[in-house]
Amino acid sequence: MLRRETWRHFDYWLFGTVLLLSVFGIVMIRSAVAGNIELVNSVRNQTIFVGLGLGLILVLAAINYRTWASTTRLLYAGGIILLIGIYLIGDAAFGSTRWFEVGGINIQPSELGKIILIIALANYFANTVDQPHNLVWIGRSFAITMGMTIWVLLQPNLSTSIVLLVIWFSMLFISGLELKYVLIFGGVGLVLLVVIMILIVSGVEVPLIQDYQLDRVVNFINRDNEATYGEQYNIQQALISIGSGGWSGAGYGNGSQVQLRFLKVRHTDFIFSAMAEEFGFIGTALVMALLIFVVIRCLYVARKSMDTFGALIAYGIATLIFFQMAVNIGVNLNVLPVTGLTLPFISYGGSSLLSLVLGIGLVESVAAHSQTLDF
Amino acid sequence: MNRQPLEPINEINHSRLLTVYILIGLVFIFYLARLFTLQVVQGADFTTRAIDNRTREISLTTTRGQIFDRNGTLLARNIASYNVTITPADLPADEGAIQEVYRQLSELINVPVNNGNTEEETVRNFTPCQSDLGITQIVYIGETNAPFDPVRIKCNIDETTARVLQEQKSDMPGVSIEIESVREYPTGGTTAEVVGFLGPIPAIEQNYWESLGFVSNRDKVGYAGIENYMNDVLIGKNGSRVVEVDNSGQILRDLESPIEPVPGNSLTLTIDTRLQAAAKAALVNWMEQKSFQLGNNYTSGVVIAMDPRTGEVLSLVSYPSYENNRMARLIPSYYFAQLNQDPHKPLFNHAISAEHPPGSVFKLAASIGILNEGVITPDQLINDPGIITIEQKFFENDPNPRPQEYWCYIAKTATKQHGDLDFLGGFSQSCDVYFYKVTGGYKEEVEEGLNIWRLGEYAKALGYGITYGIELPGEQNGLIPDPTWKRINVFENWSIGDTYISAIGQGYVLATPLQVLVSAATLANDGKLMRPTLIKEVLDNQGNVIKPFEPEMLWDITKDPRIHVYDENFFQTGEVKVVEPWVVDLVKDGMREVVVSGTGQAAFEGATFQSAGKTGTAEYCDDVARPLGLCIPGSWPAHAWYVGYAPYDNPEIAVVAFVYDGDEGALLAAPVARQVMEAYFELKSAATN
Repeated sequence: MLRRETWRHFDYWLFGTVLLLSVFGIVMIRSAVAGNIELVNSVRNQTIFVGLGLGLILVLAAINYRTWASTTRLLYAGGIILLIGIYLIGDAAFGSTRWFEVGGINIQPSELGKIILIIALANYFANTVDQPHNLVWIGRSFAITMGMTIWVLLQPNLSTSIVLLVIWFSMLFISGLELKYVLIFGGVGLVLLVVIMILIVSGVEVPLIQDYQLDRVVNFINRDNEATYGEQYNIQQALISIGSGGWSGAGYGNGSQVQLRFLKVRHTDFIFSAMAEEFGFIGTALVMALLIFVVIRCLYVARKSMDTFGALIAYGIATLIFFQMAVNIGVNLNVLPVTGLTLPFISYGGSSLLSLVLGIGLVESVAAHSQTLDF
Repeated sequence: MNRQPLEPINEINHSRLLTVYILIGLVFIFYLARLFTLQVVQGADFTTRAIDNRTREISLTTTRGQIFDRNGTLLARNIASYNVTITPADLPADEGAIQEVYRQLSELINVPVNNGNTEEETVRNFTPCQSDLGITQIVYIGETNAPFDPVRIKCNIDETTARVLQEQKSDMPGVSIEIESVREYPTGGTTAEVVGFLGPIPAIEQNYWESLGFVSNRDKVGYAGIENYMNDVLIGKNGSRVVEVDNSGQILRDLESPIEPVPGNSLTLTIDTRLQAAAKAALVNWMEQKSFQLGNNYTSGVVIAMDPRTGEVLSLVSYPSYENNRMARLIPSYYFAQLNQDPHKPLFNHAISAEHPPGSVFKLAASIGILNEGVITPDQLINDPGIITIEQKFFENDPNPRPQEYWCYIAKTATKQHGDLDFLGGFSQSCDVYFYKVTGGYKEEVEEGLNIWRLGEYAKALGYGITYGIELPGEQNGLIPDPTWKRINVFENWSIGDTYISAIGQGYVLATPLQVLVSAATLANDGKLMRPTLIKEVLDNQGNVIKPFEPEMLWDITKDPRIHVYDENFFQTGEVKVVEPWVVDLVKDGMREVVVSGTGQAAFEGATFQSAGKTGTAEYCDDVARPLGLCIPGSWPAHAWYVGYAPYDNPEIAVVAFVYDGDEGALLAAPVARQVMEAYFELKSAATN
């Protein structure tokens, strides 16, 4: 398995960029702790997560990704069992049940679910390349997706559910979804969104949508720049943090918004703002470019893959990284309502990092095994 | 269709992948543009907001100056008051723990954990310290307003409880003790009309005070009395610190060197609290006693005592007044409403703000006028038949003169007459007809009277018609009328009858009790008009005198020419003259005669000191009397006046006493003045023994 050829085709650019971003993430988290006693262990923890994560990438890269195609059903069943498990017995935290605690590390099954869904869908679409791309084909892929998503939605975890649906749609699109369906789906999605909005505004209770989620949307539409606390305040502080960064930023560890803790959740959801304050436009644009480079590189691997299955895995992971990054930055820049999505590789958190390194490991595996066929 | 490829092929759709690349590129460009807008285009604005976030200017409270009386007795001081506060943001995160804090606090300070509601109406009417809401409700209101600011749960707890709370504070996160400086008036209601009270910065003056560095809802300003008039001296100057704070409001460092507060200066008043207490007791007791005896209801009055040589006001009583300690922490709305709606106006300083007809005490002004102008000689006899009739002419050669009767007060009550009187007789008997004739002129007996213009000149020389700038808010200037004033304000020509009644301080003439006092004190002081003042010394906060007392003479009527000379058409000739010293002496003789044999004789019978004075019974018909139907022509209600000084030969104290609707000056006012003089001499002998 650990053959020389594996490492010859290993994508060092991708791995190097991920390493760079993860290390930068640790550095940024160190600044974002800003003397908060509850966060003092963050730097140490994140260093461990990154170390383990990088190891995991290498291990996964060494394993031929085609192995996963044969075990898709097993993985899928395992993922659902974990999700049902969390639904039944998980810890209650922040009003929704999301994780298992394994040896002091919280593991969110929904994060694993993202990767499993990508593998499952990649397998399905790769196997059905030659089938007619009709409604049955679409319906089956949707059933695979919802089989997993429904449990995430029940947690309730709306943002991850949306991520799963976006992955599905994105992979459906690349697998040759006919343009009329793209338009129909787009239309249906839009109508659904408008209907939900109208329901929200008229005060009807929409199932599976929590009050705080409602508030986020309402707050986003109906902005209050004078809020002195709460989510609106957090967003205002994020904007102030970003804006006060200027061209070159206040310098590492010198951002007053970060260091005096005006910026909230600055080590996770709003780490982008923290970065923008301390490193300014130049530094932030550079980090954004690196993140985009990771996505592009995944897509490059997808193109170079020997088979459709590998290509779809790499493509799916690219979608996952890009979507999370776009939503997180969009929230920070106040062009999207607040969600719980973190900035890939940089935000604090072992669980979100887990799905990302699993993903990158798979992409590396696709890259590494793109030239050799092990029959 | 079921082709099974021998070699796997990558069938990923390249055109669709291109679409994805374009989408990624568009999002990236859009975000970069947005980032550029925020950081570079709007960067300066956001930087300002970031600086505002972390910079806070803290106002350091200054200490208000104290107020002492002339003997060093404290009239106003600052004491510590303890308030219990909760900072909502510092409460424990757990709801159960919060309830535990509330329960523990509730036991200590006796405020229920839950009481009332948090409906909009309740929240709008909420005033800390003044609500009966429970802790939960108060914290809820505080949290919605400003979660990082402490909200007051209970104010003015006793020191023991404060100490217990201080010790147990660590068990109750979020709870703290706030120490507030509160004004206390040890002499309370005795000196309230002089000292006044404080109140919060009024909304309408908020900008002004804030521009001076004062803080609304914290710093207080003078609302009445010396506290108000001398506010600028007493208040001091707040200090300030510009500090860097973190998000929890914790101060991290000074960004600029702090400016220390400058404490206010203290004041020593000219008031003698003991005399003030005696004067108030004399007035109130006498009014009550006479109310009981005569079946009348005497409601308000004034006594002012002053040193005529220096203008130092020794006591200033305006009755009714109020208890200023009740307004020390906050002004209770029910009490303020009660004071405001009281028809006898306790918040109004009757001594300096009330304008009443002075009545016969105004004859002091008429007297120096007629003597100094030589209208008559002192020995010239004028006949008082009880009632005289003159023809009212509103202009020269009025073809339809109306005959009108003018009465001497003695003729009204006893159908008597004074007969022939010289100056001393006319003055000491307070004969109205004497003054009608000499001021207005009467047939051949007095061919040319003093007239209204010259009467006004002498009244003003004695201090009528002006304010002196006594250190109290609301001082009024009274009214010395003249024909021009009447044409403008009453739309009528001046008539001879107007001059008649002006001579005896009736008609349009108005004066404050303080003006009446100054007119007599000026004569007692041989014509030197001393500015009445309440401030003896200004002290710094260490108690060192920074402005010693200096008597201020406004003018000397025997030396400073202030009397304008009029020609036969009543135009000022431009000449000015003085009052002859013998005139002043003669009027003083007249005032002595009042006490010895005249209208004040009964009141001063058996006094251990020699005094001089003048009684007054001033008929009035004001906004209070008219609706009650008391303004019956020929028997109007009257105010009681007495003004005098003692000792006669070397005056040390001048006193005015005034009883609203007191009718007879000799009966209601003169005995009060006598008691004040007695108290003064008693205190003086106690001090020397």
